[in-house]
Amino acid sequence: MQNLGKDFGAFTALAEMDLTIGSGEFVALLGPSGCGKSTTMNMIAGMLDPSHGEIRFDGRNMNGVPMAKRGVGFVFQNYAIFTHMTVRDNLAYGLKSQGVGRAETNRRVGEIAELLQLTPMLDRKAAGLSVNILQRLAIGRSAVVEPAIFLLDEPLSNVDAAFRAVMRAELKSLQRQFKQTMVYVTHDQLEAMTMADRIAVMDHGKLLQVGTPLEVYNHPADTFVARFIGAPGMNLLKGRITGADTGLVADLGAAGHCPVRTGQGGDVLFGFRPEQVHPDANGPLQMIVTTVERIGARTILHLAAGDMTAKAVLDSETPVPDQGQPFRFALDADDVRLFDAETERAL
Amino acid sequence: MTDMTTDTLPDDAGDETALHGGAEERKLGFWLTLPAQLLVLFIALFPILMQVYISLTDWSPLDGIPWYQAYELWIGLLNYVDLANDPRFWSAMWRTCIVMAICVPVQFFLGLGLAILFVDDFRGKRVLYSTILVPMMVVPAVAGYMFFMLFQSGGPVNDILSFFAGRPVTIAWLSDPDLALFATIVSDIWQWTPLMFLILLAGMVSVPQDQQMAAVLLGASWTRRFFTIVLPRMKTIIIIAIAIRVIENFKVFDNFYIMTGGGPGVATETISIYIYKVTQQELIWGYVAAIALAILITLSVVSALAIKKLRGAQQ
Amino acid sequence: MQRSLSFEIFRYAAIFGFLALSLIPTIWMFSMAFKPIAEWQASGADLTWWPKNPTLDNFRFIFGESGSDLIVALERTAGRPILASLLSATFGTLIAMAAGTAAAYGLSRFGAGGNLPLALIQLRIFPPMAVMIPVMIMWAFLGLIDTWYGLALIYGIVTMPFSFWLMKTFFDDLPREIEDAALVEGCSRWRVFLKITLPMMRPALASSALFVFILNWSDYLIALLLTTRDWVTIPVYMASLSSSMTGQLYGAKAALGLIAAVPPVIMGIAIQKQLVRGLTFGALKE
Repeated sequence: MQNLGKDFGAFTALAEMDLTIGSGEFVALLGPSGCGKSTTMNMIAGMLDPSHGEIRFDGRNMNGVPMAKRGVGFVFQNYAIFTHMTVRDNLAYGLKSQGVGRAETNRRVGEIAELLQLTPMLDRKAAGLSVNILQRLAIGRSAVVEPAIFLLDEPLSNVDAAFRAVMRAELKSLQRQFKQTMVYVTHDQLEAMTMADRIAVMDHGKLLQVGTPLEVYNHPADTFVARFIGAPGMNLLKGRITGADTGLVADLGAAGHCPVRTGQGGDVLFGFRPEQVHPDANGPLQMIVTTVERIGARTILHLAAGDMTAKAVLDSETPVPDQGQPFRFALDADDVRLFDAETERAL
Repeated sequence: MTDMTTDTLPDDAGDETALHGGAEERKLGFWLTLPAQLLVLFIALFPILMQVYISLTDWSPLDGIPWYQAYELWIGLLNYVDLANDPRFWSAMWRTCIVMAICVPVQFFLGLGLAILFVDDFRGKRVLYSTILVPMMVVPAVAGYMFFMLFQSGGPVNDILSFFAGRPVTIAWLSDPDLALFATIVSDIWQWTPLMFLILLAGMVSVPQDQQMAAVLLGASWTRRFFTIVLPRMKTIIIIAIAIRVIENFKVFDNFYIMTGGGPGVATETISIYIYKVTQQELIWGYVAAIALAILITLSVVSALAIKKLRGAQQ
Repeated sequence: MQRSLSFEIFRYAAIFGFLALSLIPTIWMFSMAFKPIAEWQASGADLTWWPKNPTLDNFRFIFGESGSDLIVALERTAGRPILASLLSATFGTLIAMAAGTAAAYGLSRFGAGGNLPLALIQLRIFPPMAVMIPVMIMWAFLGLIDTWYGLALIYGIVTMPFSFWLMKTFFDDLPREIEDAALVEGCSRWRVFLKITLPMMRPALASSALFVFILNWSDYLIALLLTTRDWVTIPVYMASLSSSMTGQLYGAKAALGLIAAVPPVIMGIAIQKQLVRGLTFGALKE
């Protein structure tokens, strides 16, 4: 399997979209609900027909190919395990459906069960298994027929928060083991950041940015991506770039002035990560603390200046001013991201 | 759209009492359930005791003595001995079973086939769905009169057959023993196929979509998906649907009695018609009580076993 | 899921084929009801599938106006049987709903009457014919034979399993929090039931009542055994629509059959969504 190329679009659900996914890559489709990520996924799987554009697997046009023949492995939100069958029958389902012989089926089921540590429970009914076993079973059930591509539809959304980290790690290691191309749909940026090789951020049926987690985090293509990635998301303050003697300065109104590296004069949205705020009694920026949120290792300050709000994430050791007090801070000029005030695209 | 509950069968009480055990609430619960309890006692316990008593006598309402003095006509278990040797009773029983054995599978497969056609969306689904349901809402007795008209020798059924045969067909449906049974069975199938359809469709719709999708993505053909995913998942509902029709078919009376009166001869005499005739025409109520009790006891045992088994299968 | 064109064609063909057969009896009754005497008496080759000269004569006839070509006049018109059916089915429904709803609430909320679910299912399984001897004796003793209220009483008991099970599933679905909130505010349990729960259950009560009404309205056997003359119901009365001179009065029967069939069909379609729940004793909810 070489390249999966697809460029397609479905009326309102999904506008023009181009995305190439490399073999063995783990790509996360990330976006809020209704952004078109599930539509995209369903079109790859063949549950929906694209209204225009095409999906290609290895350069082969998949339009009109029925889902059964696409070689797509699909892991559903709640895993869609056949609970009325045994684990073994679940694993063998795809092979039997495709008319693979009994001996071959048994061999491959045995292999996959061994790999996924499902061997001890092969003859148990699939009902009542714990959720991480269900996840392995769902992956194994699809993997056994050696699909060209794996699609995962928010498989962790029904899992307890406490258990998600474990499941994420397991899923990631499974993907490495299988060297399998995976497309993972999620609305949880944390899942996308921790597992994916590349993230495709979507909103309102549009693909906004594709990149590695760090690229997306550090260089968001627009304000939506900036706000959506990271917890909390990037701060965006309205400002104006003016040239000063020492260089360019962003005039942030009530919050003060901050030197920046690039940018032409004019209105901008001034972006910085809450984590990159440095408390500095002599810093160029000042905002009023509205709330102090202490969450163990970190402290989140809710800040306001005029009609602008921002957040700062600080080490809990750092002394912080009380509510209602001003907070002065500095930013590395390298950490500042500027966005066009009109188009909201990165400058 | 549909949601299949797992607490299909009665298994309540006990634990809930513990949860809501205030004295006031227990008292209110008692008063709320009292009318229903009394009505059940009124229709079950008292009549059954009465039935046991009368069944041991040779009492008839024509004897001129009130039922409570029926001991004057005490005959012990003779009614039950008679019952065991009553060919008409056994043939009515047998006929009822035959009717059941034909009606229920035909209704099931027709209903299942229709349900398959209705399980996904298509234009006009709602209207067609409602139209299919019409027969089951027609009063069964009225259905009996309708089919009585249809199967007249100069009636519309023969008219349609004449059209296809190209010559006048004058089959006397209701006066030929075999054809009369056929005609009554047709009327039952006509009326109750929609019920099977309704229940089976609801069950089919409740089969999780993603499991079916998963099967398709794994390369399963339509038939494989249907037999390995859809049908097994509908098991409980299929059992319930068939059980309902078996029970109702066992009681069948209205349309049969109106179409043929159980005749010609006893050709369409089901168990209910047989009991009715002995009650109304031969008036030997002691014997009727014996028949009724025998049936009640058999049904109680069978249904209790079936419910127990079904409940076991669900857990 | 995509379906091929040939499947769509097959689907419509199969459904319309089925409907064509399944609608014949209904259409026939409909057509007969509006045929003049000459047409509904016709048989064999003279049969007409649709009335050539539609008329309301049959309806006039069963209500006692014998202006039609029928020489016979009815000894008894259909008015009284219709009233009997209405009264017995309505009051039977009230009895079943009152006792069934109260018991369902008692079980669903307080766990009272744990024996009822099974007892009522068993009650439903028994053929009515098998308990009719004692019932006839009891009804005669209580003076309830051939009265609409006697019929209503037995209807109420026979259909109580349905009202009970339907309402039980509805109560089970109703979140307790709403009632608990009212309880906290100091209302008594009884008041909560009457003032909070029942009004909230109005749609459920309505559809259950319609369902039970259809069942009561559809009875034939019980009325056949417990009424004799004054309060016979529609289906029992229909048998008398024949005369020695003209034989079966098909037109009149069809007209009355239509009158009997229309209300339940309309009600049934109105409560379509609850039909499955009612018929399967709440095992399947829609």
